[in-house]
Amino acid sequence: MSETRLKILQYITGIVLFFYVGAHLIVSHLSGGEPAAWESVAERASSSLWLAFYILLLIFGLYHGLHGLRTIIIELLPRLPAKVVDWTLVTVGVAIFIYAAYIPISAF
Amino acid sequence: MAMKATGSQKRHLPNRLGIKGWIWGGNYKLERYLYTLHRVTGLGLLLFVTLHLAMNGFRIGGVESWEDFMSVFGTSGFKVGEYLVAAAFIFHALNGGRLMLQHLGYTLGKPKPPVYPYVDSLRRRRPIVWAMLAMIVALAVYLLIEFVT
Repeated sequence: MSETRLKILQYITGIVLFFYVGAHLIVSHLSGGEPAAWESVAERASSSLWLAFYILLLIFGLYHGLHGLRTIIIELLPRLPAKVVDWTLVTVGVAIFIYAAYIPISAF
Repeated sequence: MAMKATGSQKRHLPNRLGIKGWIWGGNYKLERYLYTLHRVTGLGLLLFVTLHLAMNGFRIGGVESWEDFMSVFGTSGFKVGEYLVAAAFIFHALNGGRLMLQHLGYTLGKPKPPVYPYVDSLRRRRPIVWAMLAMIVALAVYLLIEFVT
C-alpha cells in the first residue's frame, strides 16, 4: 500500500477513534455509576453491540497507534529497511489483536 | 557542484538531529513544539492502551480475579494517571484534527506574495492554534473537575 493511502487511513482511523474513545471515556468515567464493577462488565460482555464496539475500537486503535509508531521509527532510524519495520509491527499488531479480541469474545 | 547519492544514501537521508531534534533544532516555533507533544502523547497513549489490553485479561479469571485486580485502581496515584491519560487524549485528538486540516490545506488560507517581513501560512493562521489550545485547556479543566468530584 502506498504511503499516501497509509496516511489517509491514519486520518480516517483518527477521526473514528475521536468518537469511539470519546464514547468510551463518557461511559467509563463521566456517566456516573460503577462501569468497572463486575456486574457492569458482565452486562456489557453479553451485548453483541458492545462486542462489535470493542472489536472495531481495537482494529482502529491498533492501526492508528502502530502506524504512528512506524512513522517515528522510520524517521529516527532511516537506515532500517521499511519492510522489516512494517512486518515486525504487523506481527505485533496481529498478536495483540488475537489476545485482546479473545477476552470479550470468550466472555460473550 | 551537486554530488550524486550512492547506495543506501539514495534511499535514506540521514536524520542528523535524531530524537534531540524533537526538542531543539534551531528557530522552532509553537507549532513545532505542538508536533513534539503530539508524538509524546501518542506514544504515551500507545503504552497505556497496551497495558490496558494486558490488564483486561484479568476478567478471564472471573469475578474474584477481576475485583482483586480492580481494588488496586482506587488509589490516588492511579486516579492521577487516569486523568493524565484522558488529558493526553484530548490534546492528541484536537491537535491531530488541526494537523489533518492543515496537512490537507483547508486552514492555510490563500497564498500571498512574499513581501518582507515574511510570514508563513501557519503563522498567519495562528489564531486557529490559540483557539485549539483554549479548547484543550477548557476540556482538560472540565475533566479535572469531573475526576475530582
